[in-house]
Amino acid sequence: MSADSTISQDAAVTVPPAEDLFSLARRANAARDAALGRRGTFTRSRRLLATGAWRGPRDAVLSYVETADLAALGGWAAAREAGATALVGADVAALREAGAVGARLIAHLPFRSGESETDRLARLRALAAARLPLWGVIPTPEGEPYGLDTLRFTALCRLELPGVAHVIADVEALGPRLAQMSLGFGADELLAQIMSERALRLGDNANTTVLTRGEAITLIKGAGLAPAERLANDQLEEHV
Amino acid sequence: MATSFTRIRDKVREGEPLSLEDGVALFEHPNLLDVGALANEVRERLHGGRTYFNRNLHINATNVCEASCRFCSFARLEEGKPGAYTMSHAEAWSKLQARLDAKDPITEIHIVNGLHPGLPFEYYTELLAGLKRLQPSIHLKAFTAVELHYYAKKYGMTYAEVISKLHAAGMDSIPGGGAEIFAARVRKKICDDKCTGDEWLEVHRTAHKLGLRSNCTMLYGTIETIEERVDHMLQLRALQDETGGFQTFIPLAFHPDNNALMKLPGPTGVEDLRTYAVARLLLHNIPHIKAYWIMLGVKTAQTALWFGADDLDGTVQEERIYHMAGAETPQVMRPAEIVRIIQNAGRTPVERDTLYNVVAEGDALVSDKPFRRDVRRSLEVVT
Repeated sequence: MSADSTISQDAAVTVPPAEDLFSLARRANAARDAALGRRGTFTRSRRLLATGAWRGPRDAVLSYVETADLAALGGWAAAREAGATALVGADVAALREAGAVGARLIAHLPFRSGESETDRLARLRALAAARLPLWGVIPTPEGEPYGLDTLRFTALCRLELPGVAHVIADVEALGPRLAQMSLGFGADELLAQIMSERALRLGDNANTTVLTRGEAITLIKGAGLAPAERLANDQLEEHV
Repeated sequence: MATSFTRIRDKVREGEPLSLEDGVALFEHPNLLDVGALANEVRERLHGGRTYFNRNLHINATNVCEASCRFCSFARLEEGKPGAYTMSHAEAWSKLQARLDAKDPITEIHIVNGLHPGLPFEYYTELLAGLKRLQPSIHLKAFTAVELHYYAKKYGMTYAEVISKLHAAGMDSIPGGGAEIFAARVRKKICDDKCTGDEWLEVHRTAHKLGLRSNCTMLYGTIETIEERVDHMLQLRALQDETGGFQTFIPLAFHPDNNALMKLPGPTGVEDLRTYAVARLLLHNIPHIKAYWIMLGVKTAQTALWFGADDLDGTVQEERIYHMAGAETPQVMRPAEIVRIIQNAGRTPVERDTLYNVVAEGDALVSDKPFRRDVRRSLEVVT
């Protein structure tokens, strides 16, 4: 761990944004559109938990394990044996190692309220310089995921990591509202548990972030992008 | 020929009021950032980076309500039904007393209730009077136009009589709730048995003529069309041209949980931001646009501060109406938390009273330090 990228524990407020919010968002969207077109995608995903159980639909097309759970599962080889095809996490060493044996790699990029944009840029540039073969990155708030922090960081990810195809909005971490807004700040993909149907948001289920296919499509369309679902063979099914 | 958006932008910059067609075009404009940036231009022209909040407390003294609005999760039709409650005066007053005992000062109490068929008018006047006895300086923002209309009918008074009597008992201003959507088509389907849009406007007109200020709202995200949203805002703007009595417009996002409209999806985050931005652009004569964090959630409310909003409401405490509809927000925020959220947005926090007089700003406001988790992931191993 390098000391200069450690977040100050005493910071009280974020340094005022260096670039106008709208200008930053426009640049990020232009970068996304140039690379991928004005398309927003979603993927039906399921996660292999540290216990060895799966969470998410059986027919998900993205089966992933978090780097934090690898040790309990016996490493990437064991996770792959269990059916995982992708590795997601912030442990770059684990990502690098698993990538060498065929995992699709997605990095969590942590950020927190109170750190400066300069610190964020330094971390993103260090990651870009590492040239990890990442398929995507997930802006991952630690502590309070304030809206503007998340949106600015999402835009910075798009702009500072031109070698990474996908900037992913994690619906579970951000909630559907903020995840959708991220699509207007350079993100192109929603990561969510996409089920065929979901129960009404009542009682214990009131705060669920599970989406139906129709809800994912609505969120992407509402953000002004053309929705497409990622299929098992990495083909895209457009939802006009 | 100028595009629709360019023409609208020119009108906004020249201070020309926007039309119904302009409002619809803004809702349909494909680029949210264009609309947001223009709304932010107006917001900064009016207020710079200043962003307002207050220290307040909500009292919902009863949820027993004769009306059966289909979007409402708060009301219970009769006393004795599961979940129904009516506070005694002592119980309601104790909410304020608790704040006084805790030396946690507030400047405003926001009072909104169900339309209770069994309470005498004196219940309300004594409720207000008791709160004023406890803290004479407290500002009582009390009773929506829907309640005031109901009292006029039930107790056989004119609007002016109801408002004057409640004002004499301690009511200082009127909250903006109950407006929903003025279009009769929508009201017939979602709130058929309460006052009409015209009656809502007439109550506020009367209050303004009597010298009281008020707020105004719009419930969006149920079954209304874009045209009906714009029409609603234009009716508010017309009354404001006539009286100048509105302080703040508060767009209220429909929450689809625990009510008869729960199969509707509810508005998305992008729709929230667009509605705030369009409101700022259409309502040039209403000074403030409030992002009510209780209902929007803190993340969206903070983002709305760059899409036309300049106010976050207050510390709140004990909000029941939206929480019974599934709001996931906390029920209270400390002033230092609100200050931090505003600063974190790159805005300047200003503590206000209900009438937007400045209570504290600058160094007088203390910001919290960010909440931290014990465990953090890290990217430091990249090097």
